[in-house]
Amino acid sequence: MGSPFAVEVSNVQCSFGGIRAIDGLSLRIAAGTVVGIVGANGAGKTTLIDMICGLVRPQHGTILVMGQNAAAAGPALRARIGVLPQETALYDEVSARQNLDFAASLYAVPRAAARIDEVLLLVGLLERQHDVVRTFSGGMQRRLAIARALLHDPPLLILDEPTVGVDLEARHQIWSHVRSLRAAGRTVVLTTNYLDEAEALCDRVAILRAGRLLAEDTPAALTARTGRCLEIECSPESSGVARETLERHKGVLRVESGDFGLRAYLGATVNPEDVVHDLRAVCTLAAFRTRSPDLAEVFRSLTTPQ
Amino acid sequence: MNAHVFVASAKLELAHLNRNRAFVALTVLAAVSFLVMVSLFGLTGSYAPTALIDLDGGPYSESLIQSLEGAHHSFRLLPMSAADAQGALRAGRLVAIVTIPQGFSAQVERGATVAINVEIDNVNIDLTNDVQRALPAAIADFGRANRFPGVRVHMAEHDVWPRDTAYIPYLAVSALALDAMMIAGILGALATAREWERKSVKLLRLAPAPAGAVLGGKLAVAGGVAFAALAVTVAAIVAIFGVLPVSFVATLATLAACVAIFTCFGAWLGALLKRTLAVAPLLFGLVMPFYIDSGALEPTRFDGDRIWLIAHASPVYYAVGVLEWAYHGLHVTPEPVYVDLLVLVAMAGVCVALTLGSFARGGQR
Repeated sequence: MGSPFAVEVSNVQCSFGGIRAIDGLSLRIAAGTVVGIVGANGAGKTTLIDMICGLVRPQHGTILVMGQNAAAAGPALRARIGVLPQETALYDEVSARQNLDFAASLYAVPRAAARIDEVLLLVGLLERQHDVVRTFSGGMQRRLAIARALLHDPPLLILDEPTVGVDLEARHQIWSHVRSLRAAGRTVVLTTNYLDEAEALCDRVAILRAGRLLAEDTPAALTARTGRCLEIECSPESSGVARETLERHKGVLRVESGDFGLRAYLGATVNPEDVVHDLRAVCTLAAFRTRSPDLAEVFRSLTTPQ
Repeated sequence: MNAHVFVASAKLELAHLNRNRAFVALTVLAAVSFLVMVSLFGLTGSYAPTALIDLDGGPYSESLIQSLEGAHHSFRLLPMSAADAQGALRAGRLVAIVTIPQGFSAQVERGATVAINVEIDNVNIDLTNDVQRALPAAIADFGRANRFPGVRVHMAEHDVWPRDTAYIPYLAVSALALDAMMIAGILGALATAREWERKSVKLLRLAPAPAGAVLGGKLAVAGGVAFAALAVTVAAIVAIFGVLPVSFVATLATLAACVAIFTCFGAWLGALLKRTLAVAPLLFGLVMPFYIDSGALEPTRFDGDRIWLIAHASPVYYAVGVLEWAYHGLHVTPEPVYVDLLVLVAMAGVCVALTLGSFARGGQR
């Protein structure tokens, strides 16, 4: 029986000219899941993707893709990976169809004409197939690039920032394609700067910072790890003493200032009412509410030094 | 090589060029413009306009004019008045004014020595030297024609070649090699640089298809278009100069080898530069030294051993060697023509093998 993991990254290091882009990173991506790799610019997302594709060799550690060493990937393994690079890398002076015809030849796609029709229909570009790509909007170009990545029906899809630079409508269309890929049982690895995107699409999210893996879990588990969020509205005069009180409280993991007042992240065992009671003893609160943190707050809590 | 990938890549390159028809037309125009350029170069170096002021009009002045007209190809004698000649010389429309003085024929008849006044615009030493060489030769010819005593030596010319080859047809043929370098170089370089510029090289590297087949298809189209541009230039040489190749086979083989060599050279340059915009200026900068150093203006062996040795590293040298033979029946290199052609074909083979092989290895990572 083969490995249940589509990708296994083990203690990988990679440097470029003395700058360590990936630093001892380990990550396993289960087959049939959508995994988001999240991090600020320069966190190492694209380097990690390039290593998974076999374009960059790690100086240390191994990467197995569908059980094979990515660094020594031959044509057979490459034929099982579909990639949407950050730049769409389309030939913009020729038609959408000509782009896909060429890609179909590169991947020796059987019954290419029918398959091209199929993927163009999937991304909603069948009617524009003979138009020159240069005339397409950014969103349409991204969709065409997704069609190209899907053309050879790969079990593993790598999408490097699939929605960067596209409008809201195109973004939601791309999300819908990714969801349909998950439904079809494909493994999807996507990098993104948009945390709402990772939260909306991914079964698991890996958070990178300076080439290191800070956390990797389901979005729900990551938000739970950050703790419940208590938002407190108070006057500017009261916020100083309120902050001191919160920071002294053993159950409070982190305190942030907001436009309205303060935001405190509470440990799992802390009762928010106890914290509010302590605050009321030292200052007047205009209002308070509790909610679950979003992934952006998780990311901030993990990547911002306390 | 994977045939269907080769064909698909060629079709894509063809589609690109089809979308850029104006660029292709300009490329063909560039090939013809190089031909025009070398022709202008030849023209400006000969038939310098020289005013002739004949103040005598006697039989000896007519005889001297005949000798002047036949003495040197540098002269284009323009009879005119002294005032017009002075005006034209000051305006830079003349190289020199030759004045045959009044009473010239009578003085010659008497056996007197007569001075021919020559005013030279010596702004350019090359043209000045032409006049300085041509006039004494014309005077010697005039003396011989009129059997004047004292001239006891004359030149007995024995030509190596059965006929003279005019300078401009000589240059025009060598310009074909220059054209091949320029046109095939640019098209080959664009075919590769475009992949980096559009970042599609990443996708090519990720694809399971052999990179050599992808590149082969692209370069085959680039080379084909370059060859077509050269065919237009060949037609222009026939139409403008009336020069037909003595050997079509040698011409075709030389041009095909040149296209293969320079398309590959361009492909390397494009991969190195990774920018289409940088390709044309660099190639324009490279072609002239290659051209001048390769016997294009005159056989290189006259220019000294060092230049001659350097020239041997350049495919243009061998191409000029074969083309001058193929068109004019000339041997302009010390090596036999078949050796020049063999070296050229071998260079083409090595270039194609190295280029496709290296890029293919790059594709396999």
